[in-house]
Parts: sequence; structure tokens; C-alpha cells
Amino acid sequence: MATASLSSMGVRSLESAYSRLGILLIAPAMLLLIATIVYPLLYALWLSLNSVYTPTQQSSFVGLANYRDMLGSPTFWFSLWVTIVWTTSTLILQILCGVGMALLLNEKILFRSAARSLVLFPYFVSTVVAVLVWRWLFNDLYGLLNQVLLELHLVDAPVNWLGQMPNAMISIVLVGTWKYFPFVVIAVLARLQTIPLSLYEAARMDGAGPVGRFFDVTLPQLREVLGVVILLRIIWDFKEFDLLYLMTGGGPVNQTRSVPLLVYQQAFGLNQMGTASTSAVGMMVVMGLLMAAYLYRSQRTRSQDASR
Amino acid sequence: MAAVSFRNVRKVFGETVSIPSLDLDIRDGEFVCLLGPSGCGKTTTLRMLAGLEQPTSGAIHIGGQQVHELPPAKRDIAMVFQSYALYPHLTVAENIVYPLKKRGVPKGEWPAMLASIAQLLQLEPLLARKPKQLSGGQQQRVALGRALIRKPKVFLLDEPLSNLDAKLRAHMRAELIELHRRIGTTTVYVTHDQLEAMTMSTRIAVMNGGVLQQFGTPDEIYYRPANQFVAGFIGTPAMSLIDGDMQRDDHGFSVRAGGLLLRLPNSALCGDAAREVAIGLRPEDIVLGRGAHSARIKVVEPTGHESIVLMECGGATLCTRIASDVPLAAELRAGQDVPFDVTLARVHVFCRQSGLRQNRDDVNVTAIKRTRDAA
Amino acid sequence: MRADKFNPLASLVTWVIVILMVFPLIWMVLTSIKPQSELFVFPIKLLPEHVTFEHYRRLLEDTPFLSYFWNSVMLSVATTVVVMAVATLGGYSLARFRYRGRETIAVAVLCTYLMPSVVLIIPLYLMMVKLGLENTLTSLVISYTTFALPYALWLLRSFMAGIPEDLEAAALVDGAGRLGAFRDVILPQALPGIISTALFTFILAWNEYLYALVMVNTDETRPLTTGVMNMLVSSFNIEWSLLMAASVMMSVPLLFFFAFMQRYLTSGFGAGGVKG
Repeated sequence: MATASLSSMGVRSLESAYSRLGILLIAPAMLLLIATIVYPLLYALWLSLNSVYTPTQQSSFVGLANYRDMLGSPTFWFSLWVTIVWTTSTLILQILCGVGMALLLNEKILFRSAARSLVLFPYFVSTVVAVLVWRWLFNDLYGLLNQVLLELHLVDAPVNWLGQMPNAMISIVLVGTWKYFPFVVIAVLARLQTIPLSLYEAARMDGAGPVGRFFDVTLPQLREVLGVVILLRIIWDFKEFDLLYLMTGGGPVNQTRSVPLLVYQQAFGLNQMGTASTSAVGMMVVMGLLMAAYLYRSQRTRSQDASR
Repeated sequence: MAAVSFRNVRKVFGETVSIPSLDLDIRDGEFVCLLGPSGCGKTTTLRMLAGLEQPTSGAIHIGGQQVHELPPAKRDIAMVFQSYALYPHLTVAENIVYPLKKRGVPKGEWPAMLASIAQLLQLEPLLARKPKQLSGGQQQRVALGRALIRKPKVFLLDEPLSNLDAKLRAHMRAELIELHRRIGTTTVYVTHDQLEAMTMSTRIAVMNGGVLQQFGTPDEIYYRPANQFVAGFIGTPAMSLIDGDMQRDDHGFSVRAGGLLLRLPNSALCGDAAREVAIGLRPEDIVLGRGAHSARIKVVEPTGHESIVLMECGGATLCTRIASDVPLAAELRAGQDVPFDVTLARVHVFCRQSGLRQNRDDVNVTAIKRTRDAA
Repeated sequence: MRADKFNPLASLVTWVIVILMVFPLIWMVLTSIKPQSELFVFPIKLLPEHVTFEHYRRLLEDTPFLSYFWNSVMLSVATTVVVMAVATLGGYSLARFRYRGRETIAVAVLCTYLMPSVVLIIPLYLMMVKLGLENTLTSLVISYTTFALPYALWLLRSFMAGIPEDLEAAALVDGAGRLGAFRDVILPQALPGIISTALFTFILAWNEYLYALVMVNTDETRPLTTGVMNMLVSSFNIEWSLLMAASVMMSVPLLFFFAFMQRYLTSGFGAGGVKG
């Protein structure tokens, strides 16, 4: 039996063969992602340092001029404000409605699984369909919403939902909430279903009523899920393009033009791809800061809990 | 059928050294148990033999062939997992013939091989079922069947009985012993249950902390444990271990431990026996009712045909047995003082620092057993 | 479903809310089957007096709708096939192999999941022009991988990680190689997860708007999302009944999705959506 062998010198060929196979299997995905995300990202950074005329794609290097213009002009800051208003409003509503609906769907409801499936419809419907349907409902003359309001004498004249502020923002926030809160429902409901009933029974024995049980048992259990959900929704609502573009196009008078819309308009409306890329980079920086701040806060709370 | 050897095998996980250096030679046809507590490295060793883990350094041979760089498929081994790992989407029959499919055995031969395995393990009525329709014991037999059908060189089992209830476990133990007797494949069996190890193996490899403590027959392990760990691990109820001091003079050794003073002849222990020792006494080597020593009874635990008695002697706890039909048994009470005797020939002396056993065994194990029966 | 112990109050409240939520979609269907005359009356009636499929007929015959539909089908199927092929292997790699940088890659995949499309549309558009792929469905398939692939990778990785390791180990000992074990054990066991991820990817591609808007601008190549919106914008009178009929037809795959996905939806979506 040969005892002195390559293997005793530490060459583990089977392990490295497995590793190579693993790398081979992830390679196509990696290449695709690098080609479609990493490279374009770097390219966008490069573009932001140039002035590019869209139709001809003629570009000239301008250094940080675009950034100076962006930070100096009210356009970018105003659309950032619009984005923050939109994101915050719809987020709050999404969370409130989502948690509420999840609590309901966790009860013993007649035809519960049907209800749970139907609740998901708005999320999976295309934004185009959602916008068409809601614009039809919001139609000032023939839309059902105005009809109902008129008949209930809640308003005297048809409401202009999309052509007027603050209605336009309100409409967008409403439709956004309608479309995206099922995501919160699903995540929260999945977590609710894993909370042991014994926790509630113990609370009940200690004298807690339903409200008490919600705040003392349910909410702490939901903290982690909500943390993730809120972060994801902030990111996705912040970068939402389709809904705002299709509902109002950014109007009236750019009052609902969030940063994603600004980027699109600068690139394809004003034909300034360089400027548009700069706005896009600006948006990413803001999002990055938001994420960092959020994660820092949640790390702090977690370490506070741990040290208690 | 083949011999298995580990030569200087070392396994490191990240920063932790799981197995510093393992040397083990398993003979062709043996049934070897890797026995030890959780985390002792026995499963890692088995998985390295299977090819599911690779040793950091060292060599593993099966039948003289170097295997530690071969994938599991090329090692001609079969394995039964603790969870049985039956393929849930395949029927019992498909599960069992899967290895044949993978090894390229011609399809025409499958039915005959399947039939003989099914008959051997009484699986005929279950062949069309899916694993989730089977009980634990049935799943285990299917796992066995899947392993047996290929007639591998080495048979590996990873705590296969631990998920079964006690009665079924006892039954399967007997079945496995019978199978090994009949088929005779080299078998490596991992368990933490010393009863399984003692009843089933030709030799037991006791491991602790990644280190092989002792490799010997069940009798050797029981009557001549290499160190304190093995002595304490094997045997139920466990051996009583008492710290003490030893002096040597011209006539022999005198050991003072707990409340006991024992004198042992020069021939009993190695010449360089240490001063700080621990003595080990198995329950059957402590006889109640007569003798020079005395202890106070702490607890009497009747278990049917015998009672287990815990008693305190000079600060140390001793454990012994007494048959229920002995008149003394009925009189024993907690708090009572009772005389007892110790079978000197089988007192174990361990060096407290190294844990190693100091006894010199010129007599063979059979003689030791005979002494007991004669007493 | 237990027949006893229903919470009647909760049931009532829940169903009222659910109906209100789904109402816009119901209204969409109702509008699409009402004759034009019934659309513009005061007061609006909920239910149609006469049911007509006139609008559907016009949609299919008089508009490029069918070509949009066909484009969407091809686009979504192609995207799903490409993404699933790459993500299944990648998910297996991330779940079951050990190599340097694996965790970094997993985190990187997570980050790409959060990448805003607006940042990428400009460079991707320029890249497609350079490759000569502008205004083709291929450019869309490539662009869609930017958001479909990370999500599919993440989902499939969690599904495969949930398969007991012993099963693969058993296959390896029985004589399979790693790819054989993948085919014989992982794929069958992960099948529910694979199907739900595939359906998910299909829906994501079917519903995508922004990339279609930027990359494609002729009717022959337009998918449904931009095509239908184009119909809205380019006509002088907004034909709501036509648009509602189009919306209904656009949502048809969604119904199939739900029909097949009842069981898997919560587990698959929840796992990916929350863990992400």
C-alpha cells in the first residue's frame, strides 16, 4: 500500500473538481448579469460625465458639469421631492392595508383560500391594465368614481382626478397602494401563520385583550418581516416608472414627475442622455443613502435588543 | 469484499481541526462500529470513506486501492443513511434498482436481482409503493435493499436504527447481524449506542474529539478499556470512577480512593504507574452484603429482575446491582449503611493526568471472565 | 376547510374588502361587454343590459392587437426559457457547491435585484443599437434578464437549498455523478419550485413596460403593453370599450397563472419576496 502519495501532500483533486463544476454552472448567469447589469451600470456612470445627443448619439466629455447643473437646478430637487412624497405616502398606506388585510386573512374566513388568491390579483395584473382600468374609473365625465360621488352628493361637480393637484398625486398613491399592498399581505400572512398559538393563549391568560395581544404578541413577531418588506417596498416604489408615467405622464405641469420619469424625459424627450444618466446616478446615490440609513437603524435596534 | 485502511487521515473544517490524525485498519469481512458521542468525528470518518467529504490530508484505501480522490460513484461502496434518503418521487422498486441503472447493469438482469433482494428483506408487497407510504421500519429495509443489491466491497451505515422505536431497533439489530453473517461484506457502522456496538461488531473503534481511543473486540473494550473515556463510555450502568492516590512499596501498590483502601499486587499494574490515579469499578465488580468496605445507600432503583443501587462512600458515588430475588435486596433502604466487597482482579486503575489505564493484563480476557463466573 | 367555527364578522369584512379590491377588474370585464351606447349614460348602470362581444371582435380584426399578443407570447416564452435554463443551473451551483466567492456572488445577485431599470435603459439602448438589435424582440429578451434572472436565481436557490442533502449523497453513492444527481434528484424534487418560478418569470416578462417602451417602436415588434398604450395615445377618441376588451385579453395568462398556482403561490412568492 503506497502511503507516500500526492494526496498526502495536500492535493485534493475531487474537491477542486467539484468547485470547478460549481463555477461552471454559475458562469452563464454571471456572464449574463455582468453583460446586462454591471457593464451598463459602468457605462451609465461614464455617460453621466458626457453630454450626449440622443438621436445621433454624438457625445462630448464634460466632466462633472452635468452634476453641477443637476445639483444646482431646481428640476432635480423638485422631482426628488415628488418621489419622496409619492414613496412615503404609498408606503404608509401599503403597510397599513397590508398588515390589516393579513390579519383578516389569518382568521377563519369562509372560502379563505379563494380570498387569499383574489387578494393577489392587483399585484399580478400588468401596470398597463391597472392604469387603463383606473383611468377609466377616474374619467371625469364617465368614470364610475365620479358617478358614485355625485350620486352620494359627496361632491357637486365631477372631480378632475388626474389633471389637477393634489388630486393627481392622491390618485397615483391610491392606485399604487391598490396594486402593491398584496405583496405586504403575502409576506406578513406567511409570517403570521408561523406564530405559535401558545403565545396568544399565554397573553390571554395574562389578561391581554385583542388590542393588547396585537401590540404585545403579533407586532414584535412581525418586526423582522416588516423590516424586510418596508425596505423592499421603499426601493421598488422609489424606482417605480410605469405607474406614474402611464397615469399622469408626470403632469400636471410636472407636479408628479418623479426622478425615474425625469430620467426618461431627459433622455428621450429632451434628447440629453448625458443629463439623464446624471439624474439616474443621482437617484441611485439617494437610494443608496436611504438603504444605508435604514440598515444602520435596524442594526442598531438589533444590537440594542441583543445587549438587553 | 475488501479491507479498509485510514493512514494518517486529517480533516480540518475552516479553522477547526475535526480529526487530527486517524490510523485505522479494518480487515476484510469485519463488522466495525465507529462508536462515540456526538461530535466525536465518527460520521465525518464514515463520510470520508464514502467520498462525501475529502480528507485534508492522508490516505484512504479500499481493497488496496487508493480511493480518497475518487468520487463516491467509483469507490464500489454502498451506504444507508440515518434519514434513509429514499428518492421520494420513485417507487420502492425504482429506488432499489437505481444503483443498477447508474452502474450500467443491463436492464435484463434487474428483475432477478430485485426479486432476490425483495425476498431477502420481505419487500415484495411494497414494491409499487412510494416511500412516503411506508413506515419507518419499511423505509429502512428499502434503504438496505438499495445498498445490498449491488454487492459492494464495503457497506457503510450511518446510525440507521436511531429513528426506530426500541422494539423495532432490537429486531433490526438481529436482522443486520444475520445479514452480515450471511453475506459477509466488510461493514462500517456508525452509532452512538454502545449496546448496538457491543452486540453487532467484530471490532469497535471508540472515538472522542476526533481521536481514536481504542480499536478492539467488544470484550477487549469492555474488560480492558484503554483509557478512562472508553471505560466510562462503555457499560450500562456506567463504571464508577473515583479519584485517588497510589503509593508503591515492596509488597505492591496501595490505592486510596474515596473511602476505599485497596491493595494490589506488583504484577497488577505497570511498573511506572502514576501517583495520582482514578480507579474504576464496574457495577458487577461491587458485591453487596459482605466485605471490608462500607457505604451509605443513596438511591435504590428497582428495574424488575434487579435493582440498581447508588451509594456513597467517602465522598465518592458508587453504582452497583443486586438481583431482586436475593434476600438482601428487599432490606435495602436509602440512608442505610451496607458492607460491600470489591473484586480486586478487575479493579481498573487510570492515570488521572493522561487517562490511560495502568493495569497490566498478563491474563487474557477469557480468564478474567472466568474469574467472575467463579466468584 | 372546516365547516365549524367560522368567524362571521371577519368573513364579512374580509369579503367586502376583497370585492372592493377586485371591483376595478370586474368593472373592466363589464365595460368590455357593454355596447357603446351603454357606456356614456347617466346614471351609470353596473350591469349591462345587452351583452356584446363586438369590442372583442373589433379588437382582433381592426387593430394590431393580435400581432401585439403574438409578440408578447414569443417574448415571454423566450425570456422564460433563457432565464430558467440559466437560473436552474446557477441556483444549483449557489445552493450546493462550495467555491471561493460564492457568498459574494449571492449578495451581488441580491443587489442587482434592487437595481433601478431607469439607470440601465439608456446604456442598454445604446448597446442594442451598437449590436444592431434595436427594435427587435431579441433586445427585449436580453433586457428582461436584468430583472428576471436575479429573481429566478434567488428563488431557485432557496428551493434547491431546501432539498435534503442526504438525497444527493445517496445518489452519489449509488453511482451518479454530480450532474446525474442533479437530473435524478434535484430536478424532480425542485419541480414545484421550478414551475412556480417559470410562471413568475413569464408574468414578469408579460407585464414589462419600460424596456419595451425604450427598445421597440414599431407596431410589428411591439408587445402588448406598449402596443395597447399606443392604441390609447394614437387615437383621437379614446375608445374605452376597446381598451377594456384589450385589458381583459391581456390579463388572460394571469388567470392560467392563478389556476395552476393556487398551492404554490404563497410558499414560492413569500420565500423569494421576503427572503430577498
